Amino acid sequence: MVTDRRSEFEATLTRTAEARGQEAGAALQRASLLRDAIHRFIRNRAAVVAAVAFVVMVGFVILTPWLSHGSAYGVDFAQAYKSPSWAHPFGTDEFGRDLLVRTALGGRVSIAIGFAATIAIMIVGILYGAISGFAGGRIDDMLMRFLDALYGLPYLPFAIITLAIFGTVNFWTMVVALTIASWFTTARVMRGQIITLKENDYVRAANALGARWYRVLFRHLLPNTLGVILIFVFLELPGVVLGEAFLSFIGLGISPPKASWGTLAQDGYSAYEAHPYIIIIPSLAIAWLILSAFFVADGLRDALDPRTRET
Amino acid sequence: MLKFIVRRALWTIPVVLLVVFMTFVMMRQIKGNPFQVTERAVPVSIQRNLDRKYHLNKPWYTQYLYYVKGVFTADLGPSLVQRNQGVNDIIKEHFPVSLKLGGLAMLWAVVFGIPLGIIAALKQNSVFDYAVMTVVNSGYAIPNFLIATLLIYFFALKWRAYTPFPTNGWGGPSSWVLPAIALGHAPMTFFARIVRGSMLETLQQDYIRTAKAKGLRWRRVVGLHVLRNSLIPAVTAAAPLLGFLITGSFIVETIFGIPGIGKYFVTSVTGRDYSVTMGITIMLSLIIIVANLVVDILYGYLDPRTRDVRT
Repeated sequence: MVTDRRSEFEATLTRTAEARGQEAGAALQRASLLRDAIHRFIRNRAAVVAAVAFVVMVGFVILTPWLSHGSAYGVDFAQAYKSPSWAHPFGTDEFGRDLLVRTALGGRVSIAIGFAATIAIMIVGILYGAISGFAGGRIDDMLMRFLDALYGLPYLPFAIITLAIFGTVNFWTMVVALTIASWFTTARVMRGQIITLKENDYVRAANALGARWYRVLFRHLLPNTLGVILIFVFLELPGVVLGEAFLSFIGLGISPPKASWGTLAQDGYSAYEAHPYIIIIPSLAIAWLILSAFFVADGLRDALDPRTRET
Repeated sequence: MLKFIVRRALWTIPVVLLVVFMTFVMMRQIKGNPFQVTERAVPVSIQRNLDRKYHLNKPWYTQYLYYVKGVFTADLGPSLVQRNQGVNDIIKEHFPVSLKLGGLAMLWAVVFGIPLGIIAALKQNSVFDYAVMTVVNSGYAIPNFLIATLLIYFFALKWRAYTPFPTNGWGGPSSWVLPAIALGHAPMTFFARIVRGSMLETLQQDYIRTAKAKGLRWRRVVGLHVLRNSLIPAVTAAAPLLGFLITGSFIVETIFGIPGIGKYFVTSVTGRDYSVTMGITIMLSLIIIVANLVVDILYGYLDPRTRDVRT
């Protein structure tokens, strides 16, 4: 559920790198390439709707706790299990806590964990992939064999074991566990990007002019992967959010009274017979975030490589 | 071809060793001597005997060798919580249930997913296509704990009078239906998406146009050329699907109260029965490694070009 979309992107992203390699020559041309990409993205209706939906969700999560006067932590048993109404648009939970505010606060945690883990995944994956692709030869071979070995493993058990090693579940241990479990694809894609870009004339020219390796890597290769990195941010984020929800749902979430969407869903599951809305709301919030992120990623890919559009 | 198979098969040995090593290293990081964790005070002499029995008095590399030997002779050690049961017994008892559930879920996924993908591709941009794509998007966006819970809520509670499905347990065939659907939903949408995508790509190929141009009836073109070429990706999709099934089984088995390996894994994590956690992790990893091997060989058979590239 989490990895499949990324591996589908792998194939087309190599073409993206090639396309950029051919077009990204002079600085002037590159500016127009960027403008082209933005233009294409804006013309893509699904992508724009998804981007708006994504921003709306992030805005909801950030703003609601300030704007709403519902109480996220105050226990009031007289208000327990109220169905959605004007006073409590998302209803209340078993302690009478307002679910609108709790959903927003849970979303803050889920999305924050999502972004933190995504950034960590990017750093690890980019470093690993860039080293592997840039060094080539023996080192590349070794690193890739190692990655291949890790690749097929069930990622959730390893995330769970990581959490068991830490002994406690909090924001940062969750980030580490999710990162350990899911940096492989990014590393592999980055390696592919670097290898493809390395073949370009301007890299050869830089080498011929005597540029040091770090200049080639940081000046010529990495900047050209920014587009792909951006796409991968939007591909990793949903996976991480879903992973966090799974872990929370089986009882390895951050501890109450704090909540994430996963722990809210778990709360809802324990009362689904009488009050199904409690599990539906956080689940739909997760679905909303995942869908919008995927369509943004889709739109970004199409914007960066117009040739993938037809499929 | 034989050389390819042998090389590919030999490659699994270091992978297995790496996985066992990683799992073992992670297992050792979890603090405490397993037999000292219990509240019951164990006399020193018994403690020493227990240590000796499980080689806990030996240095770590000896323990590792014992563990590797255990993995290759299919003996994953004792359970730490249920003293009279070995990890093997637990797997033997619970795994068949998960296997059956996974098999049923796959059956559901294949029987509905592939035809949905085929029809959606043949009627691209029709209402049916859009309906299928909506369902497909729900497959990776909506967490399966929501799907499982809603299935129970409607079919086992709300419409109890009209449907024969129980809310939980693993008894007769009527109790298999809802869990299989819940677990099979994501793979089903996965199949539909993969098949639809590869069908659309195949339909644009020159040989399809040629077949049409030479006057072949459309039904025959589809049956003879399109289907055969576009179902290959569905075959190779089997490996990531295992990931779906394993991750999904943790959730679905927990929700439906099915005594399978996924539920037991979750129980072992929350109950800190680490040897069981590790044993199940290794077993799941072995299954995935073998599945990858089979898929790669199948792929090498179906598409000879990949034989040299992949090890």
